[in-house]
Amino acid sequence: MLSFLTSAKASMHPSRFLLGTVSTLSLLAPNFVFSEEDEELNFVHDVVPILTKAHCNSGACHAKADVGQRGFRLSLLGFEPQEDYEHIVKEAKGRRVFPNAPEQSLFLLKATNTVPHGGGNKLARGSEEYKTLVKWIGQGMPYADESDPELTAIELEPSRMTMAKKAKQQLKVTAKYSDGSERDVTELALYEANDKAMATAGEKGLVETSDLPGNVAVMVRYSGKVSVFSVSIPLGAPVENLPATSNFVDELVFQNLKEIGVPPSPVSDDATFLRRVTLDIAGRLPTIEEAAAFAADTNADKRDRVIDALLDSPDYADYFANKWATLLKNRRESKADITANFAFHSWVRDSLLANKPYDQFVREILAATGTIVENPPVAWYKRVKLPEQQLEDVAQLFLGVRMQCAQCHHHPFERWSQGDYYSLAAFFSQVGRKPTAIAGEDLIFHKRGTAQYVNKKTEQPVKPAGLGGPSLEVAPDDDPRLQLADWMAEESNPFFAKVLVNRYWKHFFKKGLVEPEDDLRDTNPPTNPELLDALAKHFIESDFDLKEAIRVIVSSKTYQLSAQPNEHNAVDHQNFSHFYPKRLQAEVLLDAVDCLTGATTSFADLPMGTRAVALPDNSYNSSAFLKVFGRPDAASVCECERVQSSSLAQSLHLMNSSEVKGKLATAGGRADRLAKSEEEDAKKIHEIYLAAFSRPPTGEELSIAESHINIPRTDSAGKPIAPATAKKMAYEDLLWAIMNTKEFLYNH
Amino acid sequence: MIRKFSYLILASAILLVANSARAQLVGFPDPHLLTTMPMGAQQGATVEVAITGQHLEDVTQLIFSDPKITAKPVIGENGKPVENKFVVSVSKDAPIGIHDARVISRLGVSSPRAFTVGTMKEIACTEPRDSKEKAAAISVNSITNAVMPKRAIDHYSFPAQKGKRYAIECAAVGIDSKLTPVVIVADAEGRDLLVNRTGGVIDFQPDADGTYMIKVNDLTYQGSDRHFYRLALQEVSADGLPPRHPSTAKVSAASWPPPGLSEKAKSQEVEPNDEADRAQKITLPCDIAGSFYPAADVDTFEFTAKKDEVWWVEVASERMGHATDPFVLVQGVMEKDGKKTLVDVAELYDIASPLKVSSNGYSYDGPPYDIGSPDVLGKVEIKEDGVYRLQVRDLFGGTRNEPSNEYRLVVRKEQPDFAIAAWAVHMTLRNGDRAAFSKPLALRTGDATVLEVLAIRRDGFAGDIDLKMEDLPKGVQATGLKIPAGKSVGHIVITADANAKPDFALASITGSAKIDGKMVTRPCRLATMEWPVKDAKQEIPAPRLVNSMPVSVSDSEAAPLSFFAAEEKVWEVTEGEKLTIPLKAVWREDFTGTSIKMKAHGVGFDRLAPFEFPLKAESYDVELDLATLKTKPGEYDLAFYGGGVAKYRYNPKGVARATAAKTKAESEAAAAAESAKKLTAEVTKAAPEKKAEAEAAAKAATEKQKLADAAKAEAEKHLAAVTKEAAPKDRVDILVSKPIRIVVKPKAEEAEKAVAQAAPKK
Repeated sequence: MLSFLTSAKASMHPSRFLLGTVSTLSLLAPNFVFSEEDEELNFVHDVVPILTKAHCNSGACHAKADVGQRGFRLSLLGFEPQEDYEHIVKEAKGRRVFPNAPEQSLFLLKATNTVPHGGGNKLARGSEEYKTLVKWIGQGMPYADESDPELTAIELEPSRMTMAKKAKQQLKVTAKYSDGSERDVTELALYEANDKAMATAGEKGLVETSDLPGNVAVMVRYSGKVSVFSVSIPLGAPVENLPATSNFVDELVFQNLKEIGVPPSPVSDDATFLRRVTLDIAGRLPTIEEAAAFAADTNADKRDRVIDALLDSPDYADYFANKWATLLKNRRESKADITANFAFHSWVRDSLLANKPYDQFVREILAATGTIVENPPVAWYKRVKLPEQQLEDVAQLFLGVRMQCAQCHHHPFERWSQGDYYSLAAFFSQVGRKPTAIAGEDLIFHKRGTAQYVNKKTEQPVKPAGLGGPSLEVAPDDDPRLQLADWMAEESNPFFAKVLVNRYWKHFFKKGLVEPEDDLRDTNPPTNPELLDALAKHFIESDFDLKEAIRVIVSSKTYQLSAQPNEHNAVDHQNFSHFYPKRLQAEVLLDAVDCLTGATTSFADLPMGTRAVALPDNSYNSSAFLKVFGRPDAASVCECERVQSSSLAQSLHLMNSSEVKGKLATAGGRADRLAKSEEEDAKKIHEIYLAAFSRPPTGEELSIAESHINIPRTDSAGKPIAPATAKKMAYEDLLWAIMNTKEFLYNH
Repeated sequence: MIRKFSYLILASAILLVANSARAQLVGFPDPHLLTTMPMGAQQGATVEVAITGQHLEDVTQLIFSDPKITAKPVIGENGKPVENKFVVSVSKDAPIGIHDARVISRLGVSSPRAFTVGTMKEIACTEPRDSKEKAAAISVNSITNAVMPKRAIDHYSFPAQKGKRYAIECAAVGIDSKLTPVVIVADAEGRDLLVNRTGGVIDFQPDADGTYMIKVNDLTYQGSDRHFYRLALQEVSADGLPPRHPSTAKVSAASWPPPGLSEKAKSQEVEPNDEADRAQKITLPCDIAGSFYPAADVDTFEFTAKKDEVWWVEVASERMGHATDPFVLVQGVMEKDGKKTLVDVAELYDIASPLKVSSNGYSYDGPPYDIGSPDVLGKVEIKEDGVYRLQVRDLFGGTRNEPSNEYRLVVRKEQPDFAIAAWAVHMTLRNGDRAAFSKPLALRTGDATVLEVLAIRRDGFAGDIDLKMEDLPKGVQATGLKIPAGKSVGHIVITADANAKPDFALASITGSAKIDGKMVTRPCRLATMEWPVKDAKQEIPAPRLVNSMPVSVSDSEAAPLSFFAAEEKVWEVTEGEKLTIPLKAVWREDFTGTSIKMKAHGVGFDRLAPFEFPLKAESYDVELDLATLKTKPGEYDLAFYGGGVAKYRYNPKGVARATAAKTKAESEAAAAAESAKKLTAEVTKAAPEKKAEAEAAAKAATEKQKLADAAKAEAEKHLAAVTKEAAPKDRVDILVSKPIRIVVKPKAEEAEKAVAQAAPKK
């Protein structure tokens, strides 16, 4: 089948005039014959999809930004067919196509690797796609007729289904056109699963599931249109004895677990919960007193009360300010940045402490004016200087939309065009700057004038518009950034609340409902869409109350489930059937080590006793500890900048580094104090376990620890070590051993 | 009539001293009062105040800008004044607010330091308080004076009751401190409740009775004795804005208020007036008080005006001490086919600095002082009869919700006037020099110093402004070099006689101008830097206005170099001819190089080619060729100036004194040793009944010897220190001649013509 159009009109394209001549000549072409009855091909519908499928117009090949590949440039994924047509047909004096002998066209000789091609053989001679291209060239390279129907959508069959583990499903992709016609484009479409561990999608649209239960999506792309095949892969185990739900989070999570047949683990014990929630909200271990008091508390609502107390504490503000200041690029680039960075970090922290509504928090950043000392969020404009950077950061951080691609070309997986990109930039077009007495630091004001920004593609100015929203007429006196903030905080905004709740969900559960957490798009659906919607709705209805967003998450039974998998749910890594343990973040771990050992880390310019989670900027990453455990450098709005993976260096640092050894041996530290204390060893061991794990030692742990403490110690010459020294060494050993356990290193 | 010109431009000049690569200090030392502890006192109180400073020796007096605050040295047990300590008495009716404290020392009057007089009781807290356990208890309605250590958080505790309202403020930036204060109100366990990091007031209304904590720290945890603060804790009434601690005035405030403006505005802004159709109706002229509140507030006023009217609009807010940037938009409301449209008539932004200020704030291609302001002063010309709308908004106000950000809007018919402020000239002495000093008017004998005087001209006033400095100490003269018509910069050159005796006086500067046929005289404010800043890239200079203008002359040191014309007279020359002025120099220190490159400044003479005054030369004839200079007939003041690097010796007299003191201490120590030796020897000889007495005498003598040895060691140390200081060091500074007055007469035929024209026709 040379043309897939079932009802396309044969139209007279200008190139038809040429065709008369060509068709006569083409009879001479030895390998290719076509009849005049054949319908004329359409470059957009027939040719571009072939190039896309063959990856000719991928970012790594001829669609490399601005340069293409070896002088031949195509638009990314064929989003700009007119430009592509120019490049194929007219550029280089038309040497790429040879209608008189289509198969001798350089375009085809390269694609088939008949003449050496850096990309190798992309198109098999004789394949249907090859034949189509030959025919198209033979027809005189028609572009498209104005009256040709336009592609309006692609339809998947099926679009949503439940699949068994290790099952297969063939997809059918149908292109729909403006004149009502349809065409099967299954072979030309591109397929990509969002979680390749759960499912893979073949070139021809065959989806195969693995043995992991849960929800997976396969993105299908064809000629600038995208659609998603959503698959639910049940485990099929019996789901019984669910914990009583605490709120809508549990209802929606348990509903999903029931659907996919994954039974949740039981609710965790009190000690585990206290440690987990304290680490997650306040970024610290519970104190011994807190652990003991919580264990002794018999009130039924004690978990909710501890959540409230943690949210009211300055520790919460410190910990979450650490998160936000990093994402807001509070970065030390020169010595003189110190004031700006301390001010901005503190502003974030104070805003969280005061529980400033999130929409107001964002508004104060976006529309900041004045000087940094008077109005610290102005500091954001010190780091993020150009409208392009501003819109990209705002889109990714606050809207969960990655607009970077749309600066130069249509977003490959999304509906965003360059028009959308520059409309967003227009919100920042009236940011006025004046130099201040501090090098590199401007004061910011609203510059009166028409808010607009030149679309680099069309070279025409565009007015501000929210993503997917209408163009706004902003009066010259009004600061367009305030209108951007207004648009974000609208109840109907599809991004603003969702990306926040997803970001926070990930903070607590290690995995977002959408991954990556700041890449919300139709083609990357959430694993539990109803839950994401409900969380966003709850957040909006609470007037963007950040503490409430946390409260609803951590007070759910879902959050409080044990990290111990049951016989069925160990394979689950996205449905929250059990708690997914997380390695403590660099700063939290350093504080935890200090807390356990009784040492204090001294940070430049800061008072002794300042916690690592309260560090204002990245200048403290000179600390080997923070560096090796992946504290980010605040260079990106992506949380992925924080390295949470494990490494040998981390293990070695905890086991051998002079820094950790020094902490263990700190004068007046825990080992020193316990060694000197007259208390019985069991009590001291109890204290250590409470400090490290918020729980008492088991009988076995106690006896191992006691025996280790009391074994006689000798020096390298075999002489007995003085009892006081030996005792201190013993306690240092015990602390060292505990510090190196997974139970200590992880929040579980 | 002879036209009179007197103009000198100094500040724009860049002096590149030849050996710029060599390390050299900038400026000859001036006395600086740096800290007082405490930094204020209650009305009617008497308190002991300790001071520290730089280049301060022989401090004899602590003086204040208001005579109702007086000080006497603290007298020690030995009946002698205790060094750097004073008893300050504040009379009951001393004005509340900031006053300037200064000291009189060997080099004369020092730079000022803010000293606050208030109504609340004051304490000075010196105990360590860097943890919640060590929190210092303070009482409500008190002011705590304290100094912030580095990397510290100061903790205070206070009792508070539910239902009451407390205002907590940490004054620092507005009282010359280097501290950028962070104030936190916390619960009894030290858990933060409310925070302010932008210098504002914490409005605290506790949920429960109890003990609460206040934590104070520097924004970046800097600390030193220069990071002082006054923590004000007071109970306030349930409504209204909490009261603020007074602050020093910014340099821009020199142009506010306009003369004759009443203290209170005649009317108030009435909300809601944000939208055009809810504009507040006013009639012009007007004087309205308002505030940029809430966030993104727009205040719209509507008035009618007639064709050809000209209205002057002035807005003050930044000059009232707020961190705001007012903007005024005036639009005409045009009606066409029953539809209203708005047409822009005027956009009024900042009050520009008359001089281009330092372009990046830290290297001086312009003065580090800025008399301009983000406030508004501009005119609106009405082109046709109609209805007009005036919008006032704060360009910094988009998201800031601060009711205290007040403004005053004045719209008036043209009232030409001016405001002036002066400061010690700063110039780039080396390429990239970033030093900014607070320069007190402390002259050495034979000294010459220059003030730059800037004018903000109001409502189109463009005439000459004559400058005069009066009430100077004996032996000190000042020549005002006027601000010429259409310009905004003038100068005052202050010189001290070579034989002047130490003296001190509170001087004043005024500017006078003829406006609408009447002579108008306006006072001049003086500005200074709060701290001597060596490198403005590392530390941002903080200029402010001062409250008085003390001038002193000291004979402890003489100026390293004096330039003056050989004769003190008005020099006369005829237009187009040559005038030779023998310029004399008195060299009192060695200078580096071979000559000092001199330039002439002053209208009519600034095209004179620079000349080299050879080092150590007693005189040099400066030839002024008026044909080349094309100087027209008139009366001129000019001065010569250049930059020189002196081998400056700090307080060499101190070495002699210290040497004498050391000699004395040595002989006293020797005498004490001798006496001790003798008395010790006598113990063995003493009769038994006299033994105890002899032993006591010997012991006392030994003690005395120890003290004498300590005094000797101290004297030796002091001598070593002053000797080191007195060693010659390269210091670069501006060197100015005494002003020279020149009268340029018209050529004879021109003069005859003028006489003929002036004579009544017969």
